Order: sequence, then structure tokens, then C-alpha cells
Amino acid sequence: MARTLQPRLRDEFDWPLFLLVSVIATIGVVNLYSATSAHTGARSELYIQQIVWLAAGSVGATLVAAVDYKQYERYAYGAYIANLVALILVFLIGSSIRGTHRWIQIGSFLFQPSEFMKLSLMLAVARYVSRETRSESWKIRDLVAPGALIGVPLVLVMAQPDLGTALIVGLVATSTLLLQRIAWRSLVKLLVGGVAGSFLMWEYGLKEYQKGRLTSFLGGEHDVQGSGWQAHQSMVAIGSGRVFGQGFMRGTQNQQHFLPDTHTDFPFPVWAQEQGLLGATVVLVLYLLLILWSLRIASLARDRFGAAISVGVASLFFWQVLFNVGMVTRSLPVVGVTLPFFSYGGSSVLTILTGVGFLMGVSMRKSAL
Amino acid sequence: MELSPRLGTAEYRERIRVMAMVAMLGVLVLVGRLVYVQVIDSGRWVQMAEDNVLRRIDLPSTRGVIRDRRGRVIATNRPSYFVYVVPGLFRLENFPRFAEYLGLNRDERDRLEARIRGMEGPRRFHQLLARADIDREALAMIETHRTELPGVQVIATPVRQYPFGDLAAHALGFMNEVNADDLVEYQGRDYRAGERIGRSGLEKAWESILRGRRGWVRLEHDVRGALLSARDAFQRLGSDRRQDPVPGRDLVLTLDMELMRSIDRAFRGRPSGAAAVVDVHTGRVLALFSKPSIDPNLMTTGIPAALARELDENPYRPRIDKTIYESYYPGSTFKPFTALAGLGAGLLDARSQVTCTGRHVLGRHVFRCKHVHGAIALHRAIAESCNVFFYQLAESVTMDRIAQMAYEFGLGHRTGIGINQETPGFIPTRAWYAQYYPGQWRIGHTLNTAIGQGNVRVTVLQLALAYAALANGGTLFVPQIVERVESPDGMVLQRFPPTVRHRVAVNPRHLDMINAALTDVVASNTGTAHGAQIAEVDIAGKTGTAQVSRIVRDPNDPRRSWSSMRDHAWFAGFAPAQAPEIAIVLLVEHGGSGGHEAAPLLAQVVRDYFTRIRPGAPVPTVQTLRLQEQRRRRSLNLR
Repeated sequence: MARTLQPRLRDEFDWPLFLLVSVIATIGVVNLYSATSAHTGARSELYIQQIVWLAAGSVGATLVAAVDYKQYERYAYGAYIANLVALILVFLIGSSIRGTHRWIQIGSFLFQPSEFMKLSLMLAVARYVSRETRSESWKIRDLVAPGALIGVPLVLVMAQPDLGTALIVGLVATSTLLLQRIAWRSLVKLLVGGVAGSFLMWEYGLKEYQKGRLTSFLGGEHDVQGSGWQAHQSMVAIGSGRVFGQGFMRGTQNQQHFLPDTHTDFPFPVWAQEQGLLGATVVLVLYLLLILWSLRIASLARDRFGAAISVGVASLFFWQVLFNVGMVTRSLPVVGVTLPFFSYGGSSVLTILTGVGFLMGVSMRKSAL
Repeated sequence: MELSPRLGTAEYRERIRVMAMVAMLGVLVLVGRLVYVQVIDSGRWVQMAEDNVLRRIDLPSTRGVIRDRRGRVIATNRPSYFVYVVPGLFRLENFPRFAEYLGLNRDERDRLEARIRGMEGPRRFHQLLARADIDREALAMIETHRTELPGVQVIATPVRQYPFGDLAAHALGFMNEVNADDLVEYQGRDYRAGERIGRSGLEKAWESILRGRRGWVRLEHDVRGALLSARDAFQRLGSDRRQDPVPGRDLVLTLDMELMRSIDRAFRGRPSGAAAVVDVHTGRVLALFSKPSIDPNLMTTGIPAALARELDENPYRPRIDKTIYESYYPGSTFKPFTALAGLGAGLLDARSQVTCTGRHVLGRHVFRCKHVHGAIALHRAIAESCNVFFYQLAESVTMDRIAQMAYEFGLGHRTGIGINQETPGFIPTRAWYAQYYPGQWRIGHTLNTAIGQGNVRVTVLQLALAYAALANGGTLFVPQIVERVESPDGMVLQRFPPTVRHRVAVNPRHLDMINAALTDVVASNTGTAHGAQIAEVDIAGKTGTAQVSRIVRDPNDPRRSWSSMRDHAWFAGFAPAQAPEIAIVLLVEHGGSGGHEAAPLLAQVVRDYFTRIRPGAPVPTVQTLRLQEQRRRRSLNLR
């Protein structure tokens, strides 16, 4: 396996993918430096930590790419089961932070199983979908098994509670699932069922603060002081950046601490205030190129599983960007979705780079062996 | 190892293409949203970003100073200190100490503490007024312990100060805090709650000149309200850092505070009265005196209710400006105008004689004179104030001719001094009686009018201007109280020349006759004011003893009852008699006889003026005065 890797690395290496990821990650680190510069102590060192994660993630991605993804197809369910167990363990031995159960401490590293579930579930769904040999469209009864596959981890993540991650986990898995042709009638039925389900979820499933976030989004600007505060300050940052921005390290909203959580959920407003519409658009276009390139890898993949995991990773980028930027521009509710390569976080970086590793692996193996 | 079925991906491609389009659409929507937020709608967000980090602190402008004509400061500003608390930065364990330094009583202390505790959310970082205008002791305590009292701020604010106290207070006016009505009325003039506004007198009339414009400075601060050292958010946000306040402009008045003091001294022992002194050649008001008065310094910081009640109930009516807002019967001071009406109509000359028997009978009414004057002509009739002479004259002159002459001299109309409310006074006519008392007019009304009784009412300032016109050969001036406007550094911005209201249509020879008679009022030993003769300068004028019938307010106080039934004592005149410079009118309310009560006070003021106060005093010789006079006349005529 490793013996066959050498010529591949040289000949089939996907430079556009590598460059896109490098550029975005570099911008992300630079922005993180500015976003945390107003702080002193540990937080101001986060960008170094992030570089460490990126380095570790790159090594990880290289290894992931080096291994033929057939192996991932083979162990997809195993990884899925293992991740499910970890999700359950979160409730038993997990560290509770701010009333949520998301992390398991391993040494000094806080491991976040829900983050990895984005990929584990996607792998499992990809395997399930790509094995479909029938040519006719799926009906609802065909969706029961994959539905269960998706539903179980989703419920567990939501119970932590972590609405944002659950949303992404669900959307990535669903996007992958949509590679399979599904009958329109069934989709409509599902949609109706989904609306009803949302209603039930609202009534019985959501915590008060989660409802608060949703209502503050739906309620617009009225509640500037309460749960809408973050979104409001985010809008102030973005809007006051105007076309050319206030300049690197000079964004007033961040420098004077009006923006909360600039290293996790709100790095983009920092960028948008300092670099303006131009900088923000450049970043969004880079993400779009990355997504389109990933979809290109999918369509050129040598087999269905490769295509499915590429689509899964592409949708991971897409949904995270859409929800994060949508949330900070108050187009969508504040649901705690991180922005790939911009948000600080070991699990997040490792997840994203593992995804990049999948893409690289699929891309390098697009011509049949 | 289980082999994965190598199924083709062709079937997927179509859906992947749809996904690519969804991705493009999604990013396009996000970019569109950014364009809206960062370009189209950016204005308000920029404003909010500014408001977040830049705190605008007002820089109060300094109100213009008011000076008298010799440069003495009559209204100025003193620093006063206001103590504020920012609840979010204040430590409540410091509160007892803080309250002690401020000298708060139990009640104030509890209220302040409740207010500090009551502030929530971002309002915790707003300033809260703890105490206004603290005294030196409290200031010293706060300043000494400043470092131990985080969140306590002392801000210096200028407060109006009137060094002369209640002197000329009616003309100066006073200031107090703007109220809700003002904020509506003066919308767009940038008044703020807590700011002070000129409420009356010059302070009100010249508010826009005196006030200046507020400036501001913006300081950068962070989310906790702590002020930061200068980072350049201003540049980043593209906004100005500072706008300097524009100080108000200064007023230089025509008033002479030294003369005001002299009048005040003359009025010692007289509880109420009024006086006006006017430059006969310019109409400039040298003194406007109304007694009793109120110290405007008390009004500035909000007048205590008890004092306000006292002012309202004071029988001498300190709130009334008795120089322009109250009108009185002029009594005999009106006679020169009756005489001029007669002279103008050709109904009498210097030789026309009347025999005074001390009474004038008209039907069943008997009109009395003070003395039995015997055969008497105009000159003596004025000098000795013979009523009978004027009763007889009145019958032929008629009420309307008298009124016409009074109007010529500005009586019965507002003078147009431009401060406070002014009453026009009143000169009755036949038409007025016909309208309001149809069929009730009697010749007796004309008789009363002729001697300044009945329904004739004038103000002190009107009479002073009318006598100035007698003295200067018939020029009636618009009274002027502001001489010029200066910038704070002393540059003259605007100078106001004297304004002639009109020339009195009167024969100069008639004026000379009247003035000669007025001179003998004092100069002749039989004149009604011969007691007012002074060695330093000749005074001309006319006494008046106006009969009053005022409702007695306090029957339990016989002294007051008596005094309120007493006549008003007048003296109206000018000096020096031969070459007049000033016209002066003095009224002692309920003083009694004009000759005995008002004239001596006036003489004292005139002596003061010409020996001490007048620029270039002591009084020049008669020759130089005449020369000056001729020059002035020429210059007036040229204008």
C-alpha cells in the first residue's frame, strides 16, 4: 500500500485542493491572531495552538489520504459504532462545561465525539448509499434503515445539547444520502413529517436557551440586550466594515470586546470588519471554489463510495459556511456552528482536515488502479 | 476483504451538478447579504459601532459676560461642581463614605443608594447625578479620596453669577433649567435637559447671543465603559474627535452700575419705588431701578418654595419690574404735555392768566388745588404746580389734543426697549370713553387727564424718555440698553447706534417756555421742588403727587394700610437744566408728596452723578457745556 503511494503522491497530488485549503487555513490563522489580539493570557496564544492543530491535522490528512479509502468503506460501520459509544460515554464520563456534555477529556485534550460524528456518520451513510444496487428510486420504506442510521447519533448530539453540531451532522448525512435517487412523493411525505417533527421538537425537545436563540432570530432586532446581543454586535462589526474594512488588527468591535466568542463562533465578523466587503467576499469565493472542487473530485471519483464521501465532505464545508456566515449576518439563527479553518478548536480542525484527507485520497485514486 | 461493488458514478453526476448549483446559489446569497449589510445598510451599523466605542462628552460653552458701560461685570460665570456616579464602576461598600463626603442627609442618602442599585444592564455605565453644585468642603473631600472611589466623577459646570446681587435684576433677568416646554419650543437649538436658559430680562432677550455653542469630545472606551487611552478608532470610523465649544458673546450695556448704586442708596428707607435715567442725546438707558428686587443668584439654582411664596406675597411686589411693566398715574409730571397741547393749539401764551382760588367748580364737583395761587400764568403754574390753571386750560384744549401731545412724547405706547414684558400705559381719548363708557363722558374726565389723573397711566421709563425729548429739543428716542456686542477677546462685533423714534411735532419756543418753567420748579424759591436745589448742578423737572386708590391688602397692619393709601411721589426732570445730559424719573411708591419725597432723592442721585459718576466728572463749566451741546445738536441734525 505504502509502496504504491510514492508515484501517486508525485503524479496525482491534487494541487488545487492543497492550495485552496492552505490559503483558507492561512487566512484563518491570521484572522484568529487578530481576533484574539485584544485578549491577554491564554486566549492570545490560541493562534499558536491552532497552528499546532493544523500541523497535526495535516499529518493526519496525509495519513488518511495515503490509505486507500476502500479501507474506510470497510470500517465505516465500525467507526460509526465506536463513535456512537463515545457519544454515549460523553454522558457518563464527560466533562460538563456551561451545562452541556460535549467533551471527553483524554490527557489534556478535550475530545469532542460529536465533531467526529460528522465524518463517521457520513462514512456510514456513504457506504450504505453506494451499496445500493437496485436502479429504481427509493421509497419511504427504503429510507427507514438510513433514517435510523442518522437518527440515533442525531438524538444523542441534540441531547448534549449541541444544536449546531446536530444540525451539521444531520445535514451532511442527508446531503450524502441525496446522492441516491429518491421518489418525489416520498420526499414530500418526508417534508411534511419533518415539519410535524420540528413542531414536536420545539414543544418537547429544545432547551429554553435554544428556543431563545431561535426566537431572537425570528424576532429580529427587538431584543438587542438579551439573546440577540451577539448577533447584533456581529452585525455592527460587519456593517461598519463597509467595503474596504477598518484594517487588520483595527476592528473596533473586536478590539474593544463588543464581539463575543471571536475565536469560536464569531471569527467572520472580525474579518468582515477589518477587511470589509472585499475581504469577506474573497473568503466566501475561496470556500465556494473549495466546495466546487470537492464536488468535481466527487464526480470524477472512481467509484460510488469515493463520490459519496467527497460529496459528504463538500457538504460539510458548505453547510458550516452557510450556517456560520448566515448566523453572523443574522440571516439564520445563532446555532453555534463553527467556520472551517477560521474557528479555533482541535476537534474541529482535525475533523475538517480528515475530510480534506478523504478528498485527497479520492482525488489521487480517481483513475482506476 | 469484501469487495465493494464497482458501480458507476455516472448516475451521481447529475445530482452532483445540482449540488454545485445549490452551493453557488448559497454563496451568492451570502455575498448578497454582505453587500446589503456592508454597503447599502452600512450607515446605521457604522453609527452603532461609533456609539459602541466612542463616548461623546459635551464641552459646555461659556456664556457671554454682561458688563455695564464702564466695563464692570454684572453677569458672569462661576465654576460649580457636579458629582456623578457610574454604578457599573462604583463599589457599593464605598457608599457610606461617599455619602458622608457629599454631606447627604439620611433621606437623600437612601434615595441615591436606591438609584445606584436600580440601574441595570448597559445603563449601569451611564452617569448618574449624585449631587449638583457641591460646596468647597465636599469638593475637597471627594478630590482627596478620588482614587479610593472608582466610578465617582466630578464635573465642573459653569453657573451664572451676578456680582451686583439684586441691583438691576429686573433688567438683567435670570436663568434656570430648561423645562419640557422649552425643549419642545426651542427644538433644533440643541438644548438639553439640565441645561440653563435665560428666563427673563436681558438673559432671555439676548439668549442666542450670550449662549454660544456647545462643543464635544469623543473618547474611546470598551464594552465595560472603561475609557481607553487614545487608540485611533476615530480614524478607523472616519469621524471627528472633537468640536470645540464656541463661547457666547459678551454684552456691554448702557447701564451704569455706579449710578444704580447711587439710586439704591437714595432709596434707602423707602420700601418700594422705581427710577429710570436716560441719556437725553442718545436714548441710552443709564439706570433702570425697581425696588424691591430679587437676587438672581438665588433663582439660578432653583428657588426654594418658601422664598418663592414670600416673593409672591410681599406687598411691595418684588417680581414686578416697576420701570416698564407697571404703569402709574403721572400726576403733575404730566402737566408739561397738557401745557404743550394748549400752546400748540394757540389757546394760551406766556401771558395768559388764570386766577386760582384754590378750587375749581364744575357743576356739583369741586376740583381742588394745593394752594391759592391767585393770578397765575403758565410759568408759575408749572413751577408751583397749580391745578386750577390746568383745569381751566383743559376745558378749552380738550382731551384729544392732550392725548395727541402725550402720544407725540411716546406716552401710551410701548417704548420698545426689547426686554421683558412692557406695558404701553394708557392715555384716554374721547373715542375710548365713547366705546367703553358710552354716555358717561364728562368734562371732568378731561380735567383729570390734564393733571395726569383719571385714566392716564404711564411707565417710569416712558416718562424718562418723554422728559429727555423735552430736554433735547424734541427728539424721542427708542431706549437702548445694549450698547455693543463683543467677542470674548474684547473685539467689538456689533455696535448699536442710538435710534430716533421720531421728532416731536412741537414748536421749539414752546419747549423753551416749558423748560424754563421746569427749571424754576427747582430754582425758584416758590417752586414745588426748591428743596432739591443743589450747588453742583441745576436740575429742571416737575414734581408729581399721584393720588392712588389701592385696595388695602392687609387691614391687620395699620402701617401698611396707611402707606398704601398714600400718594405716589414723583419727580421727573433733567440735568443740567441749561444743557441737559440726562433725563431722570424717580417714583417713590406711596411716598407722599413729590416735592418732599421724590425730589430730594433725585437731587442726591443727580449730585452723585455729576460729581462722581459721570464720565469726566466733575461737571464742566456752563461755557464748555454749551459748546458741547452745540456740537451734539449739529451731529444729531447731521444724522
